Amino acid sequence: MNTVDFSKLSKEEKLQQFMERIENGEKIEADDWMPDEYRNVLIKLISMHGISEIMGALPEKEWVPKAPSLRKKLGIMAKVQDEMGHGQLLLRVVEDLLEPLGKNRDDIMEDLLNGDLKFHNVFHMEAPTWADAGIIAWLVDGAAIMTQTNMLQASYGPYSRALHRICAEEVFHAQHGESIIMALAEGSEQQREMLQEAIYRWWPSLLMFFGPESAETTGSSKQDITIKYKIRTKTNEQLRQDFFTKYVPRVLALGFKLPDDTMHFDEEKGKWVYQQPDWSEFKKIIAGKGPKSQSRLQLRRMAFENSRWVREALGAKREAI
Amino acid sequence: MYTKSKYVERMSCLQNEEFYHVFEVFSKRNHKSDFQHQFSLLAPNHEMALVMAQENFMRREPVVDIWVVKRSDITKLKPEDKKALERLDNKEYRLTKGYGYLKKKWRKYEQQVLDEKEIMSWGGDQRGPNRNAAGSDSK
Amino acid sequence: MDQIATPQEAIQNKQYKMALIELLYQLADDDFILAFRGSEWLGLAPHIEEDIAYASINQATMGHAVMYYELLESLGEGSADELAHERKASERKNAILLELMNGTGSYLENPSYDWAFTVVRHYFYDIYKKLKLESLKQSSYLPLAQAATKIKMEQYYHVMHWKVWFNQLVLSGGEAKTRMQAAIQKVWDEFADVLSYGTYAADFSKYQLIEEENLFKQKWEVEMQQVFQKAGIDYPGPPSARKGNGRTGMHTEDLNQALSILSEVYSLDPQATW
Repeated sequence: MNTVDFSKLSKEEKLQQFMERIENGEKIEADDWMPDEYRNVLIKLISMHGISEIMGALPEKEWVPKAPSLRKKLGIMAKVQDEMGHGQLLLRVVEDLLEPLGKNRDDIMEDLLNGDLKFHNVFHMEAPTWADAGIIAWLVDGAAIMTQTNMLQASYGPYSRALHRICAEEVFHAQHGESIIMALAEGSEQQREMLQEAIYRWWPSLLMFFGPESAETTGSSKQDITIKYKIRTKTNEQLRQDFFTKYVPRVLALGFKLPDDTMHFDEEKGKWVYQQPDWSEFKKIIAGKGPKSQSRLQLRRMAFENSRWVREALGAKREAI
Repeated sequence: MYTKSKYVERMSCLQNEEFYHVFEVFSKRNHKSDFQHQFSLLAPNHEMALVMAQENFMRREPVVDIWVVKRSDITKLKPEDKKALERLDNKEYRLTKGYGYLKKKWRKYEQQVLDEKEIMSWGGDQRGPNRNAAGSDSK
Repeated sequence: MDQIATPQEAIQNKQYKMALIELLYQLADDDFILAFRGSEWLGLAPHIEEDIAYASINQATMGHAVMYYELLESLGEGSADELAHERKASERKNAILLELMNGTGSYLENPSYDWAFTVVRHYFYDIYKKLKLESLKQSSYLPLAQAATKIKMEQYYHVMHWKVWFNQLVLSGGEAKTRMQAAIQKVWDEFADVLSYGTYAADFSKYQLIEEENLFKQKWEVEMQQVFQKAGIDYPGPPSARKGNGRTGMHTEDLNQALSILSEVYSLDPQATW
């Protein structure tokens, strides 16, 4: 029990108590003292996560009206709604972290439209066919589930709680994705071809989704900081390996090929051996130069502009999503 | 529901305020349960917050009632004042575990002790003075 | 007349069946096309929490269309998916108002969608739908009466949701009120088509599928007058149907655009399992 007044401690002592709390598995809450590094890494991580959900809704919504059955139309509608819902939960978490800094949802939005806020590489890519909608729901969501479940015990309470809500909904997403894929895999020649092409198209993006193995590859990596503060437990590479373990056998079992002939599990090394994607591409994409980066940002920008009168009517001064 | 005078009142309060306020959402799952906290959302006013609440947080579960509370209406403890909540664990005099010795006493008189399980069952069916001695069939 | 309890009974009377399926197509096509227009707003609504709430309304509405298409399926018209995806524009019986685009641009490129139009279209349609369902609960066709009872349950939220948006925007005055009034005019210009029972109106009444057309319109007018009064706007008098009558299969280019998107993947292979 603390007999010393926390506010009278030196910065080092505060940090030490803070790290003890984390080591003990205690949750840090929005109003608690936290080192700037902790707050900043969370803001960066969670705003990227939240905005990725919102931006991720855009490639998927393309397929809502086009879905080839009533049930699939409803399923994708529900899934896209969930993505927006996840974005909402995460933005709320990051908004509370930004509050002491005098920032809010408008600022996040501005950062996004300026290109200052990054979102996941996968959502910068094209989704030209129905099979792409299936791959997004199956493999992209699968990758997201890997990273999210890795953070369920995150030291930051609000994030951990949001992730529990999110992961509960992901189970339906995984099944929805599988139902699209299964129908294509068991369907006509044309359907199988559509799916095979989509797999080839998405494979590099999926590899890149987990981020580089180390900071050397792209010049920076926050994985060490997030592991130190017990926000996550596994590294980027461990997550990517787990993804291979879960999904490569399934893709192959359905009779499809990967665009990487070298991909195999090395028993001795105890890991998957594979061809690295082009990490310089990754940097470009994240910087907003992916095939759909600008057009999707433009959709958001236009929507934001067109609804300005609504916000002004119901509130007034500030703009928000 | 929404009237002209409410609009005037609201506009005059809004000069330097945030457009969106944070609202905490509470819901009751079914008629037997308590209200529980769900999550928070941004909305321009209470009415909007209410209309957003269910679909944002409770799409897949039963809900029989909802409250929305503006976060700024909630009084919170300052982080250092949470120390005011700490207590010593030396208060067995007000816990049933502080009276465990009675069981042995009553056995001397060939009676069962009236423990928590027994007392909580009294809402149900009971018959005859010897029900208690016979044991735990009193449901 | 006695209630018709099953599809088999309905099929026995050719005239009855024809009137019934006509009504069902109107109901199904209305909800289907409006749910589609609603789904174009995904990710683009004025704020995230509303995007999420609105998505539920669109799912529910499409779910209602599915219920009606399934009633048609049980009457031998084809599978619900065929009815939703394969029929040409000239075979569709939805009101023209509901097929109109949300604004300019496509939902994938430069969408300039009009939230005022969306709010008014939904609010006025959902009130109309609520009244229609009240009448359908007494339909001589039992499966339809039962469906109407279920669907009406979800209408409460829809009407409440749009009422809040409608009143708050109109009562804000200024630019919002101006935009809302323009939207009201645009919706009013086509609402007579929504209210119309089409060419089978007499049979609808004769077979007690739904209450008589003029009676229904009167009830609707009473309700709408209250809506305008609460919002402080003068009642504009009877609505029109300037672009034509969707109930008779007349439609605009907007419907062609909608249908080609809706059936794009389906028509790659209508026999396939997706």
